[in-house]
Amino acid sequence: MAPSKKKHASNQACVIPGGFTVLSVQFNSDSVAQHKLYVKEHKVRSERSSHRPMDRTLFVLNIPPYCSEDVAKQMFSQFGSVQSVELRDHPGSSQDSGPKISKFFRPAAKQGFKVGYVVFENSSSIAAAKSHPHNVPLVVCTEKRRVKTGTQKWIQQYTESFIHTDNLQKIVDSFMEGYDKRKKEEEEKQKEEAEQQQEDEEGWVKVTRGTKARPHSEAANKKTLQKEIRKKKRKELMNFYTWQHRNTQKEHIAELRKKFEEDKQRIALLRAQRKFKPY
Amino acid sequence: MKNKQTVADDAAEMIPSESHEEQENEAPSKAKRSKPEDAGGEESVYHPVKLSRSDLYKPPSAEELNQLKEAESLFHCSLLKMQMEELLKEVALSERKKQQIDSFIQTVTKLIQTVPESPEVEVSDLSWLSSEVKVPFLLVPKATKGKFHMVPPASVDLIGSYPLGTCTKPRIRVDLAVTIPADVLHPKDVVNQRYPRKRALYLAGLAQYLTSSSEIGTMRYSCLHGNRLRPVLLLTPPGKDSSSFTVNVHACPPPGFFKPSRFHPQKNNIRTEWYTGLQNSQSEGTEPPTPHYNSSVLGDLLPRPHLQFLSAVGSQCSAFADGVALLKVWLRQRELDQGTGCFNGFLASMLLAYLLNSRRISNSMTAYQLLRNSLNFLASTDLTVNGISLAKDPDSSAPSMEEFHNVFQVVFVDPSGHLNMCADMTACTYKQLQHEASVSMQFWDNPTVDGFHSLLMTPKPMIRTSDHVFQLCELVKLQSSCKKLDLLSELMDHSGNYVHTALPFILALLQQGLGQRISLLTHSLSPDPEWSVESEAPKHKAQPPLCFGLLLKPELAASVLERGPPADSPKSAEFRQLWGSRSELRRFQDGAITEAVLWDGKSMCQKRLVPRQIITHLLQLHADIPESAIRYVGALLDDVIKTGSEVPSTGEEESLLVVQSYDDLSRKLWRLEGLPLSITAVQGAHPALRYTQVFPPVPLKMDYSFFDKEKTSRSLVPKEGKPCPAYITPITVICHMEGSGKWPHDRLAIRHIRTAFHIRMGELLKKHHNYTCKPCPTHLDVWKDGLVFRIQVAYHREPQVLRESVNAEGLLVVRDNEEAQALEMATNHKPILTSTLHGLQQEHPCFGAVCRLAKRWLGAQLFSEDITEDTADLLVASLFLQPAPFTSPGSPQVGFLRFLHLLASFDWRNNPLIVNLNNQLAVSDYTEIKNDFMASRESLPVMFIATPKEMKQSMWTKKGPTVQMLQRVVMVAAESLKLLEHQLMDSNQTQDVRVVMRPPLDAYDVLIQLNPKQVPLLVQAVDPPHCHLQQGRHRRQCSPDWRGPACRGLQPCDPLLGRAQRSFWGPGPLLL
Repeated sequence: MAPSKKKHASNQACVIPGGFTVLSVQFNSDSVAQHKLYVKEHKVRSERSSHRPMDRTLFVLNIPPYCSEDVAKQMFSQFGSVQSVELRDHPGSSQDSGPKISKFFRPAAKQGFKVGYVVFENSSSIAAAKSHPHNVPLVVCTEKRRVKTGTQKWIQQYTESFIHTDNLQKIVDSFMEGYDKRKKEEEEKQKEEAEQQQEDEEGWVKVTRGTKARPHSEAANKKTLQKEIRKKKRKELMNFYTWQHRNTQKEHIAELRKKFEEDKQRIALLRAQRKFKPY
Repeated sequence: MKNKQTVADDAAEMIPSESHEEQENEAPSKAKRSKPEDAGGEESVYHPVKLSRSDLYKPPSAEELNQLKEAESLFHCSLLKMQMEELLKEVALSERKKQQIDSFIQTVTKLIQTVPESPEVEVSDLSWLSSEVKVPFLLVPKATKGKFHMVPPASVDLIGSYPLGTCTKPRIRVDLAVTIPADVLHPKDVVNQRYPRKRALYLAGLAQYLTSSSEIGTMRYSCLHGNRLRPVLLLTPPGKDSSSFTVNVHACPPPGFFKPSRFHPQKNNIRTEWYTGLQNSQSEGTEPPTPHYNSSVLGDLLPRPHLQFLSAVGSQCSAFADGVALLKVWLRQRELDQGTGCFNGFLASMLLAYLLNSRRISNSMTAYQLLRNSLNFLASTDLTVNGISLAKDPDSSAPSMEEFHNVFQVVFVDPSGHLNMCADMTACTYKQLQHEASVSMQFWDNPTVDGFHSLLMTPKPMIRTSDHVFQLCELVKLQSSCKKLDLLSELMDHSGNYVHTALPFILALLQQGLGQRISLLTHSLSPDPEWSVESEAPKHKAQPPLCFGLLLKPELAASVLERGPPADSPKSAEFRQLWGSRSELRRFQDGAITEAVLWDGKSMCQKRLVPRQIITHLLQLHADIPESAIRYVGALLDDVIKTGSEVPSTGEEESLLVVQSYDDLSRKLWRLEGLPLSITAVQGAHPALRYTQVFPPVPLKMDYSFFDKEKTSRSLVPKEGKPCPAYITPITVICHMEGSGKWPHDRLAIRHIRTAFHIRMGELLKKHHNYTCKPCPTHLDVWKDGLVFRIQVAYHREPQVLRESVNAEGLLVVRDNEEAQALEMATNHKPILTSTLHGLQQEHPCFGAVCRLAKRWLGAQLFSEDITEDTADLLVASLFLQPAPFTSPGSPQVGFLRFLHLLASFDWRNNPLIVNLNNQLAVSDYTEIKNDFMASRESLPVMFIATPKEMKQSMWTKKGPTVQMLQRVVMVAAESLKLLEHQLMDSNQTQDVRVVMRPPLDAYDVLIQLNPKQVPLLVQAVDPPHCHLQQGRHRRQCSPDWRGPACRGLQPCDPLLGRAQRSFWGPGPLLL
């Protein structure tokens, strides 16, 4: 951990507890207000992901909503060339599941402050970012790269939300093709497995640890469990021994008492609320 | 052992705290707490009871066992009874108060008995009175014969409710009868107001003497039930108790001083010659009878016998006093217990006495049963036709029932057989009483209604009860009405009170004119005037305006045609006489030629005001009351939801257009051929399709100059430099496809298949019907009749697929998640709600308008994020489905007022709001819902609404409002209601009902000003700007040849609000 200093001299990086370095961001050079980014090298024990190499990835907290991935990429390129930027709602391991889908079918991204993983091409860039003085802000919108705001941005988003029908049809078709192919492959795999379970010519069955044809459902599990409980209950004798009988009576009286207390409380409560005062 | 001790401690703690509470309840200076504060009280939360083990399982004593058993069988059914007992404790006078009253009465009695004598003077000579005290009487005409002098009274007695034990809080009135000695009066004094004037002089003399005493607080005059012939002197104790009770001093003649037979309703006691001041050669035989004058003088003679009678009856029945108290509370909540012609506590006691005497109720009944039986009696007996009498064997001089009915509208004869106790009551007031009683009986029997609350706890002010209300502002105008209606002898009978003279005739006129349109006509009872002893008695016109309430019949009230009898029938003359020049001969489609009146009215909101046209026309024609004197409060609120420039409309017509267009689309969808799967259901899921959209979508035509053309997708997009284009509301339609094995079992694949359906459907609609369509992955937009319908294809197993997932052990688990819930909400619940509420609109024509007003208010007060459209519609639906103690709202205005009242007064913390849509819930369901609610209150939404489809979760209010926002909603609703009712009922106020639609902005820390050019819905603002912005549309009907993709659902404010909220506040209240 970097030792945190009590007083930060200007032109020095500001390090806060937790090992984060503070970078300030402002929208354009005239802005008065600033947002703070908190950066730190990406260090996770369990993850061994190829696209977040430990030595070259910078973990960034508190990325304001007006910073898109492109903007962030350009903004961080002042510390060295950036390979990729990934913005997410919550920190966590990256999951690359399923087939690639078109942006029209992805669920709408949440607005708000995000966390980001910036992957540089050189590991030296991380040090450069971390030593960036906190009182020299990064600027989002400059002469060179304009960031659209307000109505312009909304019009742009609105325009982007359109897609030509034919293109849409193409996307659907290609996805469904892929889906059918995957389905078929799966089926074939299952078939193969099923075949393997069959006896061969000599009467041998090959036993493997392969996955079952269809996973057990939780509901089915529950059902069997309940069946067993019911079975057990049926065997039990109720009110057979004297002590059992006495216990039941006791329980009944306790139940009545509880109910009586409840009702009493209900009336007391109403009275306390002056529910009986007509005017 | 240790455990037991703590239990004992707990018990010990509980007892003192309870007794403390009772003390607090009885304390005289009870701090009044407003209702919303009550709801927010910290102690008012229900906590599940926790009893320790040792407490639950200790051996029971025999007594406890009995008690528990009894509770098990009785507690729930007698809950209402227990609540009433608690209520009685609230209204009963405490011992301390009684002591205070007794001691003050003693002082007053002593003082009055020492009033000094004065020399005898003429009645008209007022010089013996000091200038500080005036006579509480309107001396018209001035001349009176007779002598008067002050002497100490013959006796001073308590009369009325206090000695009877039926006096209740609040407004404690103690009646004190002061008997005028016989030598002041003369047996002939009954004639020509001589006795009433002497009575007033006697009170003035008492007042003059009492002003010098320091033991009396304030002194004011009033008159008994607004009857100017019977002034009373109001005394309050000095010091801080001055407002806690009032002593009414009545002056009475000595018992038996006048013969009761003189006051026969057919006899005359005011001579025309004296009253008009003109020499008239009429003999006494032809003088008109003066029944009202007679009964008011007779009323002075009888209070003591009445008290004796009532105490004799009351002493037999142990619950008599409690029964009267409950009846008084019931009457008071309905504003029937005060003013001229009221059904006061005295009449309530007399009614109970009648029921006891006629063995309709027995002496052993409880207060609960007394109330129930008397309401039942009132509901079933019409005293305007069949009067009742308490006289067991009236003497021969007593008038017969018919004679009473001839001169009075309502007849209830007292034990002496001479006095009609309901002499001043109008038939309308009695009908109102009957109506209230029968409504009460209806919901009393309904186990799903909180009977106690509706019966005795909910106030029913006229503005919240009647559908339409109108006021007669300038009461002086009634003087000319009396002339026009030729009511001189009646005026004389009422001693010049033209308001009460003309009232019954005006009511009869309106009743006749409105006929089938209304189910009930009510009027406010003019309050008893009160004035200080130093000022003259106020004039008759100096009372608040008379209010009339109409309860409309929804199916007939808005009809523009009044069809009369055929031209040749003898009744046609009568019809013409009633309607005057408005009546004309008309030929109808069935060939009949009849007299008819046609009222103006094109749109629904104009038609709703047909009763207003009738009332102004009739009053002008027959009673000489100009339109300017009538203040009609029936549609003042419609302004805020009004659209349409040529024909003003509150949205019914526009909604109908949308629904018709949708019906057509749905028919066409059903008939589509060439889809791979068939359609199983087409359902609307948008408020506009259930008539509840605040501003229903209007057909639009685009102005191309405001758009850029996007080439690749062939769409219109707004231009950057121009103002924001018009907002087009997409109307959501859900289209369920049939289930099939070909549907994939994968969420992404389903989504793609749905898209394929959207594309295919769009192609087919384009091909067969030539609609412009725009498919998207989530929906298909169809441009039809200038409206945009957003069709969403739904697959009924999709939510299930979304819930399924495979966990790490390879087990298929079903977990509820937000995505599945949202989908289910959009594709299942919303369409069902829409169709159900559409049905409700068919049943109650003003349902939609109430919803629109309610949502308008919620939106204007910035609550629409918290109380969603669906929630608001459900809240309004509950007003129609369970209106007790009211009847279903018959006008948007009254519905909106009740909506505000519901928001402001409902106890969300301890009660679920149950909306019984389609009447699907049984009684057992209600109990189940309530029990489930109680058991898991903490984990449920703050605002809990249960519907038949969904009894446990309250899905409509799951997301909001939060506790804080609900608290604010309650507060703002209470204030709005107060302000609005005041505005509507106060004729002096400048009319600006929009005040309740303007949110208070001073509470917010940040205000964001929007650029008016970029707000597409600016014209819908509560206070729209004057300059009209061109927003890229033509307000003409869409031309059929227009073909072009549209710009749908672009509303720049929404992203702004959403963005700000999500980025900076999190999912909390955004105060903008």
